[in-house]
Amino acid sequence: MVKEESPQITRRTTRSSALAKCPNNVVEETNASSQPPPTLDDLVLGEEGESFSFDDLVSSFPGRQSQIKELVNLLGPQNSPMLPIFMYGGTSTGKTSILLQTFRHLKRPFVYSSCLTCYNPRILFESILNQLILHRKNAENGYSSAKRCERPSDFVNFVREALVSIIGKLQGQKSGKLSSKRSGKANGNMIYLIFDNLERVRGWDKGSTVLPLLLNLYDTLKMPELGLIFVSNTSPDTYDSNMGYVESNPIYFPDYTDDDLGQILMRNQANKKLYTSFLSVVLRPFSRITRRVDELSTAFSLLFRKYCEPVTDLRVVPNEEMKRRLFSHFQPHIAPALNEVFKVSQPCTEVEARERKQKGRTRKSGGYDVVDQLDFHMSTSAKYLLISAFLASRNPATLDASLFDSTGGSNNRKRKRKVSEKSMEQKETAEQELLMKGPGTFPIERLLAIFQCITSVAEDPLDDEEQAQDGLGIQDGHGGLMSDVLLQLTSLCGANFVVKGGSCPLEGSTRYRSTVSEDMALQVARSIKFPLSKYLYRR
Amino acid sequence: MGRENPAEKALIHLRSRLCDPNFIFRPLCESSDSNYSKLKFLVSSSITEACNNSILLLGPRGSGKIAVLDLVISDLLQEYPDTITVIRLSGLLHSDENCALKEISRQLCTEHQLLFSKMASFDENSQFLIAMLRECGLAHKTIIFVLDEFDLFALGKQRLLYNLLDALQSVTSQAVVIGVSCRLDADQLLEKRVISRFSNRKLLFLPPSKEDVQRLLEHILFLPADSGLPTDYVVEFNAKLKNILADESYKEIINTYLNIDSTVKDFLRYLFRAVSSMDLESGMLSLENFKTALSNIQRHPKLESIKDCSILELYILICMKRLEVKEHNSYNFTTVMKEYKSVHDSFQTSDYYAKNVCLRAFEHLLQRGLIDFTDNRGQNQSVEYRPVKLLISFHQLHQGLKSYRSCPAILQKIMDREK
Repeated sequence: MVKEESPQITRRTTRSSALAKCPNNVVEETNASSQPPPTLDDLVLGEEGESFSFDDLVSSFPGRQSQIKELVNLLGPQNSPMLPIFMYGGTSTGKTSILLQTFRHLKRPFVYSSCLTCYNPRILFESILNQLILHRKNAENGYSSAKRCERPSDFVNFVREALVSIIGKLQGQKSGKLSSKRSGKANGNMIYLIFDNLERVRGWDKGSTVLPLLLNLYDTLKMPELGLIFVSNTSPDTYDSNMGYVESNPIYFPDYTDDDLGQILMRNQANKKLYTSFLSVVLRPFSRITRRVDELSTAFSLLFRKYCEPVTDLRVVPNEEMKRRLFSHFQPHIAPALNEVFKVSQPCTEVEARERKQKGRTRKSGGYDVVDQLDFHMSTSAKYLLISAFLASRNPATLDASLFDSTGGSNNRKRKRKVSEKSMEQKETAEQELLMKGPGTFPIERLLAIFQCITSVAEDPLDDEEQAQDGLGIQDGHGGLMSDVLLQLTSLCGANFVVKGGSCPLEGSTRYRSTVSEDMALQVARSIKFPLSKYLYRR
Repeated sequence: MGRENPAEKALIHLRSRLCDPNFIFRPLCESSDSNYSKLKFLVSSSITEACNNSILLLGPRGSGKIAVLDLVISDLLQEYPDTITVIRLSGLLHSDENCALKEISRQLCTEHQLLFSKMASFDENSQFLIAMLRECGLAHKTIIFVLDEFDLFALGKQRLLYNLLDALQSVTSQAVVIGVSCRLDADQLLEKRVISRFSNRKLLFLPPSKEDVQRLLEHILFLPADSGLPTDYVVEFNAKLKNILADESYKEIINTYLNIDSTVKDFLRYLFRAVSSMDLESGMLSLENFKTALSNIQRHPKLESIKDCSILELYILICMKRLEVKEHNSYNFTTVMKEYKSVHDSFQTSDYYAKNVCLRAFEHLLQRGLIDFTDNRGQNQSVEYRPVKLLISFHQLHQGLKSYRSCPAILQKIMDREK
């Protein structure tokens, strides 16, 4: 999520790992068990003696100067008390990294905890307390926390105690500094608590009590040496708890503009000239879809490789002619890439697939092109089950009889009735309803019935589908299937292809629902050569 | 670090003032009919006359109820040393009786140097409380119970309130119960058995008047002569500040702010923002500081989120709006996609993307808090089919589109057509 960390530090030190505050070299040199006990210095980010000036800070975050300035202003000069700050802005706008780097610049002690990793109140409370008490979990103490703390009331008491002691230490360190030049690198006697991903708390079980507690913590503790900083994805107005609280000082991080995006993406690129020409092609269309740095950079890293394919030497400085050539090579890839910006898994784009398909067509005549798509590692009966679940979800139950009649196929008699105005209207509302409700639910009996129907069709040598079913092995007949099928069903449920819905209040049995999309169902059907479209009721 | 320049020192001085409620509320307490004097009279009379009392402090959040109470208590602690024990509870933390009683005993124990047992049961704790009340009453010591977020104690069975107020009915005890709440109807929440034991005294905290605000401003912002700062600097600073405060446009800014937020805490937040943006080079506050602070503190979150949206996300918002105009009372992603397709068909837009891309944009919108699921049911339904609703009004969307940097003309057109 953090894309724009400054070049001096590795990625690992940006977020929570910045709080596993032992510098990397220490970990390598000494064994984990013989780590020195944590000291106050561990609450400060950055090496001792390193200077990280305000200009460094601003230059490492393009397009964020005003926000950084505001943050530094609100944090104020050393030893100045502050009111709570609320930083908000969309995902991947640099909130957390700017905050942490600002603290690196200021060299002030802080305690960082993210409500994303500390996913319930107890873990959150204990992680804050551990850091404040300078307690490190290790094998000797059985990886236990310093304090066991579950209730908010205990947390407030413990945190007050811990804060008093740590502020005492900070002050002691400051006065002792003059005489003995202690190694303390913490500046000032303020301590800051940072709560990241605050929006998560809303979803917690006890969120409605924890959230007001955190937002009111400053007033509860009444300690001028304490600074509170909240970081959230969503604006303060989305925290409409019925409790209410006095709002904190907002700092807003807007999404990056196209220029900022260009600057950010340019960072850490080896060949800036080449990348600029690449960005001039892709950035505009892509930023219409998303302006999130994280998503763009993943999409671009693959595309850039594509873009560079014709270039032999990656250090080349492109001239106009070359840019044109690269563009003409690259252009057909843009449009399909736009439609799969968010695909993570497959680096090969549709274009390649199409190319390969064209090549393959000479070898194999059409139709069967699932080869390079993802293959389903499922048994054949599981595939049939998946298809029957899909059919059961899509088709109305009343049609089952006519669809799976022994005569096979659907009779079109019904649909040839005269279409009146009213029935058209009804049809429309029904369609609307279908779009709203999504796939229907079905009891297990219906699933099994359909399953048996379609497998028997597959087996039946007299069926007109015979040729297509050639070489398919559903050997076991009706008898042996049942227990297996139930097993398969649970595994399909586990894979989230079929979900268990609530039980029907009238019938009492559990109902299922298939979540498979039509494309995928068709694909599966193709892989077992099952004529799915024939059985699909089209409204 | 040793030689800070006067500007920085002044800034720290101002900031610590703003963060110190005791300092802020002192001047508001001087007059004889202020809440401070009323509260102080009540509490001190129950100390001197050795009687029981109860009172509610009501007022909007941030109006300084706790701050005034703290002032009263700290003054009384000086006036009557060794006779007052203060027990503080907060409805946020101790709304459960068990927890509350434990906390009461804990605070009583630390106050009187007794050994507190974590393992003590509810019963033991409540007996301890009654015993302590009696002992303190016999020794003519007053216990002050401060119940912050009083309305939260009134949820559930109100056993704590009942036990506490019932204990006050005996002659031997000597205690004051002070409830603090931002709900003005907090006393209506109480059960009959509780309210009959409660003296119906209420103190109302109102937002400060214009004169009070002016006094507050001067009280906070003018630097004192005896703060260790160079005298010529202080004189210059104060003279400059006086100019600003007299400025008409400044008064306008303050008035616009007070029209929106008028509690003391909010006003302090605003001043804090202004003060913290003080220029350290010149060391002076400027009118500019107050202006930017106003724009920084008054945010329009929904508009900002619309401005943050990508073009595709705007399309989805507009499709949802169109559906709402068409009086579809509920819709979900699939219906929105249908609308999106029809918009594309009728306007021939250049932005037509695949379904999975749109789904991701849809999820971004959910994350931004611009749209939300209509209900919490159907958790096991996939996102596409769960009904959603817009959380922004037509006007906001229109406004947002207008201020969008490079809004495609076609979007504007679609929007205008909907009118």
